[in-house]
Amino acid sequence: MKILVTVKEVATVEDEFEIEGTEIADQYLGADLNEWDDYAIEEAVQLQEAGVADEVVTVTIGPEDCEQTIRQALAKGADRAVRVWDDALEGVDLLDVNAKTQILSAVVEEEDPDLVLTGVQAGDDSFAATGVSVAEEIGAQWGAVVNHLEHEFDDGVASVRRELEGGVEELTDIELPAVLTIQTGINEPRYASLRGIRQAQRKELDVQGLADLGVDEGEIEGDLTLTDMYEPESESDATIWEGSPEETAAELGEMLRNKGVAP
Amino acid sequence: MEFGLSEEQEQIREEVERFAKNEIVPEAEKYDVEETFPHEIVDKAADMGLVGSSIPIEYGGAGYSTLESVLIAEELFSWDPGIALSIMACSFGTEAIREFGNEDQKERFLEPVAMGEKISGAAISEPDTGSDVSSVSTRAEKDGDEWVVNGNKMWITNGTVGDFFVVLCKTNPDAEGRYNGFSQIVVESDRDGFSSDKITGKLGIRASDTAELIFDDVRVPEENLIGTQDAAFMQQMQFFDATRTGVAAQGVGIAKGALRAALEYAQDREQFGQPISEFQAIQHKLADMATQTEAARNLTYKAAWNVDQGNDITKLASMAKEYTSRVAVDVSNEAVQIHGGSGYVNDFPVERFYRDSKITQIYEGTSEIQKNVIARELLGKGF
Repeated sequence: MKILVTVKEVATVEDEFEIEGTEIADQYLGADLNEWDDYAIEEAVQLQEAGVADEVVTVTIGPEDCEQTIRQALAKGADRAVRVWDDALEGVDLLDVNAKTQILSAVVEEEDPDLVLTGVQAGDDSFAATGVSVAEEIGAQWGAVVNHLEHEFDDGVASVRRELEGGVEELTDIELPAVLTIQTGINEPRYASLRGIRQAQRKELDVQGLADLGVDEGEIEGDLTLTDMYEPESESDATIWEGSPEETAAELGEMLRNKGVAP
Repeated sequence: MEFGLSEEQEQIREEVERFAKNEIVPEAEKYDVEETFPHEIVDKAADMGLVGSSIPIEYGGAGYSTLESVLIAEELFSWDPGIALSIMACSFGTEAIREFGNEDQKERFLEPVAMGEKISGAAISEPDTGSDVSSVSTRAEKDGDEWVVNGNKMWITNGTVGDFFVVLCKTNPDAEGRYNGFSQIVVESDRDGFSSDKITGKLGIRASDTAELIFDDVRVPEENLIGTQDAAFMQQMQFFDATRTGVAAQGVGIAKGALRAALEYAQDREQFGQPISEFQAIQHKLADMATQTEAARNLTYKAAWNVDQGNDITKLASMAKEYTSRVAVDVSNEAVQIHGGSGYVNDFPVERFYRDSKITQIYEGTSEIQKNVIARELLGKGF
């Protein structure tokens, strides 16, 4: 079985920051591997270690700067990586779901994986749509918000557990090829080992442009416009109890019950 | 001249930082207070390949050079020196096996350390043997095809948690010259006659295990002698450049961590209606701390780079070790000062950095010994 994992370098924000126009000012931004993607990589690598998957390939859309982040996936065990970038992408302010779908679907077509794993969402723009949208585009089935995946794929079927709202979970059988969007908590992502980091430097990282993938530049132009970005006014509603730990803990417990947070 | 880190080196640093923040920082105070060895964290570090990172790839390590080991030590020590040392010291003594051991010894001793299955140690100091290493009195006598070891070793890192120790023993008491007649012999801690006694009440690095080792007619097979018999001093001296640079990296890490904590506190803590970082008295402290740390770092990286080039850098390594450990003590001292009363209790990490920093001026050659070395080299007096 071949697994394709979509990964993204996301912007991370410091606790204190300022917004300039529709963007958070550069000096408050860092970069990291998208948290959900980390779980998707771990799941794929575990499938490989269990002998279920023969090859794990990662794909990302991003400029050369993001290679260091993407190599994290290689250091954790992915076999090779594809990075898609193009001068045409450089000028796009907001790469929307449709554009990502066109690009990633083209890569899926080229790689022909049995299983595509994505994160449920990206930690920065939170579209939470790319995985499902790619599935639709390539005509595959999908499972969203997967928090458990059976490692036996009997008769080419993936048995997944999905997290629904309100503490309900459901089990679904999905025929391969399929796209699964992976929820955090499905596993415990490993740290990249030092050996892995060393070996990752020698793993293949293939760079492809839009033309290489047969994606028309017209298809990446978005219909979305970001109009504003701001911090919402937050209402201060802090309750401070005084007294012994026993007393204050009891009061906290009572409040959580009243608010419906605890049973 | 190239001052930048490679992408791979940057990635190592980032992953070590991630590990330290998640696994070490939440537990640091506990292990310091309880003075216990952080087995759980060391096991996780081993999974990541942090222990024995310089052991060659064919024996299960990552085969990293001195510079990369320096980067790892700096980052780990910047979060908690006690736990950092516990992790880094898991492969103490293996450098001799790596360099002078035969194939069988490398397989027996290096692989399990790289895999995190065994913890090693180096046993040199004795109750009466500190800076004057040539006065080692632990004796190893040949009896048939075995070595029989007798004596005491003091201040031994990993003393009660180690699985084996590379022990500096006198094997030829009749040898001429004060540096001749010593051998390095591996003694496993499960041998009859081996015992160890944990040393508690240390000023700092309290998570790291320190003990006295007692050898009472301990018999080990002759195959446990590393390298050439009676030539241990010449063997061990080759690592001084690397090990001193390693302690220099610890000092850089401590300074970096203390500076980070002070910088954060100074911006949070308000007095007279503004963050204390707005006061020039505090700003100048921070500026000095940052400058000293950067200077210490550059000296250390330069030393590490030279070790990796195979250059002989006795003077530079001693300079890096002496200066960096001094900076660690100074910067952590100022960090406590910036914290005021809060820095005097263990609610903040600077109290620990301050206590932990002192050891870097003592072990692996005291500051005074380092200065002797530097002066001797300057004056061309030789060994």
